[in-house]
Amino acid sequence: MINKSISRKLYLLVPAILVLVLIGFSIFYTYWNSASPSKTCASCHEIESSVNILFKSAHRELACKECHGTALSNGFHSLKEKGMMVVNHAKQDFADEIKLNEDQMLEVMDNCVRCHKSEQARWLSGGHSAKYKDIFLNKKHNTTEQLNFDCLRCHGMFSEVTIKELVEPLDIKGLWKFKDSKVADKPVIPCLACHQVHQEGFAHKNPDYASPQSAFYERKSNVSKASFYNRQDQTHVLAEDLPKLKLWEGERPVKVSDDPLMRNCIQCHAPAAHHQAGTSDDRTPRGVHEGISCLACHDPHSNDARRSCIKCHPAISNCKLDVTRMNTSYADAKSANNIHWVACSNCHKVKKPGME
Amino acid sequence: MNNQDNLSRRRFLQLTATGLGSIYLLSQCSQPFSKWRFFTNAEARLMDAIADQIIPPDEWPGGRESGVTNFIDKQLAGPYVRYQEEYRKGLLAIQNSCETRFRKKFEELKWDEQTAFLELMEAGKMKEASWKDEFDKTFFALIRDHSMQGYYGSPRHGGNKNNVSYRMLQLDYPLIIGQNRYKS
Ligand code: HEC
Ligand code: HEC
Ligand code: HEC
Ligand code: HEC
Ligand code: HEC
Ligand code: HEC
Ligand code: HEC
Ligand code: HEC
Repeated sequence: MINKSISRKLYLLVPAILVLVLIGFSIFYTYWNSASPSKTCASCHEIESSVNILFKSAHRELACKECHGTALSNGFHSLKEKGMMVVNHAKQDFADEIKLNEDQMLEVMDNCVRCHKSEQARWLSGGHSAKYKDIFLNKKHNTTEQLNFDCLRCHGMFSEVTIKELVEPLDIKGLWKFKDSKVADKPVIPCLACHQVHQEGFAHKNPDYASPQSAFYERKSNVSKASFYNRQDQTHVLAEDLPKLKLWEGERPVKVSDDPLMRNCIQCHAPAAHHQAGTSDDRTPRGVHEGISCLACHDPHSNDARRSCIKCHPAISNCKLDVTRMNTSYADAKSANNIHWVACSNCHKVKKPGME
Repeated sequence: MNNQDNLSRRRFLQLTATGLGSIYLLSQCSQPFSKWRFFTNAEARLMDAIADQIIPPDEWPGGRESGVTNFIDKQLAGPYVRYQEEYRKGLLAIQNSCETRFRKKFEELKWDEQTAFLELMEAGKMKEASWKDEFDKTFFALIRDHSMQGYYGSPRHGGNKNNVSYRMLQLDYPLIIGQNRYKS
């Protein structure tokens, strides 16, 4: 008898509690998504600094949810994250320990490309949109160079697993496959490999039309548009804070462009440790183009260099020829004169005016 | 993802509990509390001032801006727990001595007064009882060593913000090293 009445009460009580809980939760949820970030997100100190710096960034006008989504917009996954934050809070884990994991980075990236469609289209058309399966299951590469932890420095930098947990077998015989097949189609160099959002920047504004000539002097020089994600420290480093390459051609120091954005490219397109020109993936311009930045020719997203020659040539041309038709790797992939290091002496065995 | 979309009853209860928990914690959040792991806000302000004395800012950021306080705070809540007591005691002793001598907090003193104060500590010449047994000397040495570690160590550990010391020393960091390229 007693048992029965208890269970009958429970039948009533449990739904009643659930309804209350649900009401409470929806109040919280509505509040969370409508109040200003300084009242919600920033009220928890873990993310206070993220909020403060966002307010100084190029994206200062945007609400958090534009990029991070609301709790429910991307499924219960992100709700769980918020829940975990609460748990961590109690466990005393702190601000600089909150990091987005790879899936969250990619979710955020889906939001970047809502607004930055053109950059996305260009990125998709170039080599940087390669996927995990293109890089880690490449037969030629894997039979010659054994997969190791360092691969993840330049592609797959947001991976939370080690190379051992990513691909098997770790030898040069193969056949290679991913331990978790879901990674195959993830991009290895997502936008956030080169961009940090919680970062000081400035918003563009209309010039003063009363004296439009002064617009030039009102512009600030902004070099902080690119960063490099350093997997080892799990932090972004602003391009201008990255080291400038010191490169040697034999004993001769090569003149390297001072462009800070090029330092981003060099982190991956790097010479071998002794910094001899032309080793490993080095493409630092030498010869006729020595001292020129990668970005003078390459678009930062598509990497396209097709339209670049016209910016400097033919006005600057010693040979009085159309440089795009000359015998270089621009005109012909098989040419021995690589556009990155062709020199006057490669084509002129006899000294011409203008040659050193 | 897939199995998470299937909302089981247990999961639902977990989630609602988390939601309610957040309401509770959210109200906790709005109270003023320390944004540090170990330090109180007041201790952190003092630490910032000391860090700048130990590594003064010049054309490069000093101890405060490079995150020395954050480094020490992070270490005290981790590998350096054993120093917690020393810091609590030492920082209090500094403020007490400043209070008796200047009727001011350390961070309110003029730059040169702060320097002179720390020089006394370093030389073991503090008179107050709280500094007995050369605690002034050992505590100064401790803060100095930890500040140096924070400034020159890896940013991963909470200091050396934006690689400031690496850049000052013109260390190439992150290192520029290409992949081990096979000959094709
Ligand atoms: C323009 C897109 C964008 C907006 C708007 C945005 N974030 Fe972020 N957030 C990111 C990206 C991308 C990252 C990864 C690290 C980075 O790039 O700074 C991130 C990382 C974070 C992190 C992890 C800590 C870190 O720095 O890695 C927190 C916490 C965070 N954001 C909170 C917020 C809050 C709170 C707001 C609203 C005030 C907000 N974000 C608005 C894109 C955004
Ligand atoms: C220092 C950064 C760096 C590291 C480390 C690195 N790569 Fe690469 N990888 C690059 C760059 C840059 C390219 C583009 C090369 C080019 O075309 O000049 C590239 C291209 C590739 C390609 C495309 C095909 C090819 O050979 O060009 C594959 C596959 C690849 N890498 C796999 C790997 C694997 C596997 C590892 C680890 C053994 C690795 N990479 C380590 C930077 C790196
Ligand atoms: C390999 C590095 C790299 C990757 C990957 C990359 N970017 Fe960029 N991005 C750059 C560089 C470098 C610049 C700066 C160009 C400049 O200032 O001349 C830039 C500039 C931008 C700008 C500013 C454009 C302007 O005219 O001010 C936007 C927006 C942008 N990127 C979005 C994206 C998005 C979205 C993605 C991913 C689809 C992405 N980027 C991927 C390197 C990268
Ligand atoms: C809601 C639209 C929106 C979203 C989402 C968005 N952006 Fe932007 N972004 C802008 C606008 C607008 C600007 C130009 C701001 C200005 O210069 O005044 C901008 C500027 C930029 C710039 C150049 C300025 C700088 O200093 O960095 C980069 C790079 C960039 N965005 C990358 C990203 C990335 C990466 C993401 C995703 C994490 C992202 N954006 C998400 C709207 C957006
Ligand atoms: C995070 C590492 C990384 C950074 C940073 C990076 N690259 Fe690359 N780049 C690669 C890899 C890897 C490939 C080869 C991918 C593939 O095709 O499989 C590549 C391919 C290329 C290619 C040949 C494919 C194409 O699209 O034409 C060019 C050109 C290039 N990168 C230029 C640049 C420039 C310019 C920068 C600086 C703005 C830069 N890269 C920054 C890793 C990087
Ligand atoms: C003078 C213009 C110019 C400059 C400067 C330049 N590139 Fe290129 N790059 C080209 C052209 C044109 C091509 C296509 C022809 C070819 O493959 O040689 C190319 C192709 C590439 C390729 C892929 C094909 C290959 O050579 O294997 C990579 C990778 C690359 N560039 C990286 C870089 C990097 C990194 C820098 C800066 C360190 C840079 N480039 C500077 C014009 C330039
Ligand atoms: C940023 C400016 C710039 C860009 C972009 C540029 N070049 Fe040049 N290029 C130069 C300069 C400057 C010289 C002359 C160097 C000298 O006199 O020592 C030169 C010389 C040359 C030469 C040697 C012959 C001559 O007429 O001087 C060739 C060939 C050439 N460039 C091809 C190209 C091609 C192809 C492209 C497009 C992919 C290109 N360049 C893009 C600046 C540029
Ligand atoms: C890719 C090959 C190539 C490169 C690199 C090159 N040239 Fe030429 N140059 C030619 C050709 C082809 C001609 C036309 C035939 C000739 O006069 O030999 C020419 C012609 C000339 C002429 C005569 C122009 C006239 O008035 O008729 C001069 C001067 C000259 N080059 C100087 C230079 C200098 C200086 C450089 C380096 C900055 C250079 N060239 C790099 C291929 C090259």
